[in-house]
Amino acid sequence: MSSSNLQKALTQIWAFVFKNWIIAKRNVFAIFEILFWPVVGFFSVGFLTSFLELDPNKTGFILIGIISMSVIQVCQIDVAYVLLYDLWSKSLKHTFIAPVQSFQLLLGSWLIGVVRSFFVFLLLSVFSSLAFGLDFLQPGIGPLVLFLLGLFLTAASVGMTVCILLLLFGYMADVAAWSFSGLISLICGIYYPVFILPFPFPQIAQAIPLTYFLAYFRSFYGFDEGFKNVLAWGFGLAGLYIIVEAILFKVVLHRARRTGVLIKLSE
Amino acid sequence: MALAIQAEGIFKTFRSGWWKKREKQALKGIDLQIEEKEIFGILGPNGAGKTTLLSILCTLLLPDRGNVHILGMDSLYDGHQIRKRVNMVSGNANFLWSLTVKENLHYYGMLYGLTGKEREKKVETLIDIFNLKEHQNIPFDELSTGMKQRLSLAKSVINDPEVLFLDEPTAGLDPDVSIRIRKEILSIHRERGMTVLLTTHNMKEAEYLCGRIAFLKEGEILTTGTAEALKRIVRIGDQIRIEFKGTIPEDELVRADGVINFTISDHLCEIIVDEGEKRLGALVAMIAQGGAQIKKVTLGQIDLEDVFVEFAKGTDSDMGLCV
Repeated sequence: MSSSNLQKALTQIWAFVFKNWIIAKRNVFAIFEILFWPVVGFFSVGFLTSFLELDPNKTGFILIGIISMSVIQVCQIDVAYVLLYDLWSKSLKHTFIAPVQSFQLLLGSWLIGVVRSFFVFLLLSVFSSLAFGLDFLQPGIGPLVLFLLGLFLTAASVGMTVCILLLLFGYMADVAAWSFSGLISLICGIYYPVFILPFPFPQIAQAIPLTYFLAYFRSFYGFDEGFKNVLAWGFGLAGLYIIVEAILFKVVLHRARRTGVLIKLSE
Repeated sequence: MALAIQAEGIFKTFRSGWWKKREKQALKGIDLQIEEKEIFGILGPNGAGKTTLLSILCTLLLPDRGNVHILGMDSLYDGHQIRKRVNMVSGNANFLWSLTVKENLHYYGMLYGLTGKEREKKVETLIDIFNLKEHQNIPFDELSTGMKQRLSLAKSVINDPEVLFLDEPTAGLDPDVSIRIRKEILSIHRERGMTVLLTTHNMKEAEYLCGRIAFLKEGEILTTGTAEALKRIVRIGDQIRIEFKGTIPEDELVRADGVINFTISDHLCEIIVDEGEKRLGALVAMIAQGGAQIKKVTLGQIDLEDVFVEFAKGTDSDMGLCV
């Protein structure tokens, strides 16, 4: 690829960062998404741990869970927003008549999601340190970076699933953008270890990368959930899902061009 | 002249419903050839399949059967390459609501890979050309319908397309705004020399803008030709109205060259001829020589609307010709 083509390709990725950023900064709801709901959720659970007089390790266990969930929620919604904004504005056809590749669309929206959710992480980790004495730097910078990367990749996978559903089912699927992460929080052990779940949920949890990333980071705070090679499993599954979903996205986009969904969603 | 758009045997059926499948055949074997730099109109009533056809040609929709070549490239395999060289405008323009005019143009410029200063310059130029300066910082959802459509036109040329698709570009606009938009379309075409494919159900618009027109009805092209040629095909011709005193020589009128039909009532004779200007002198002379005293003569030209009405009446007539 020549440098001019590379520059064009990067500009096309940047287009989606630009779009999501401008819309998010003008949207009160989007500001609530990164400031209000995560902070309210965090303190609600944090004060619950105080009331239950949990020891610092258990408090850490739960706070790591709630912060991870907020990071994933904010990051994945940005990936989903790349289609949702167009869907709500009925401008989907203008995006897809442009010569953009699906990976550019997904990557651009994921990048802005990473920025916004990293901000959420910073905010909540400062609060967790000040209010509940949980130090996120305790495991060290390396493990923290790996943990965050795992969360961002999990979010990419969840967001891509929502995008696929949107192209398949249109407006009917936009509820998935908010409900998917809730479902994951139930299965992946945000507030509890997965082994307390009834069959078959612990087995299902093992197919979700977040389970391994949580187990990895919590292990530095004295919790061992009995999983082996957690990073390999976590990154392996996340990578696999992202590749499969990228292919599926192309397939459903082709289907949307065949069935007329792209046109219908722009009317 | 090379072909910009070539479609052969395009079929499209839409299927809907989960349990009870419903099918609607939107296109039934469309063949179309549009030359480079031509403004070509697809005219037809609502539900004729105009938007479906345009969507297939601009790669937003895939046909069930048939071949589409845009600028020599196969739309099924070279969709991405085609998209670099085409663009579209749709009626009821819709863009990202909370982005301003300028931000929307920047966003679409980025989607077409325009970088840094090149994009900045392009956006400024388009804002100037389309008189959007005063509105450049206003969010899309606060613009008037006319302004939205103007933005849509500006966006449609951001990548200097070689083929521009216009899907009912003046739908829902006030008449004065529609006239302005049509002038802008002509001006874009004149300056840039791109191929334009336009769908409309507005006969005046098609007649004003298009070199050639295809009539589409129930998914089939009934005929293709210039506005003038189509008027000739339906054989409803021009109308000569003659107010007179005395007697009209009916026998001679029947035999006169170019007369398609005539009616005579109370000192008014209405004659339908193939070409009004050509036949007018001879007919007036013939009637005057036949003994009638002519008081007033008017020549009325039919417009495309009359042709459209004739076509919309049915397909059983002998109109299925290609001119």
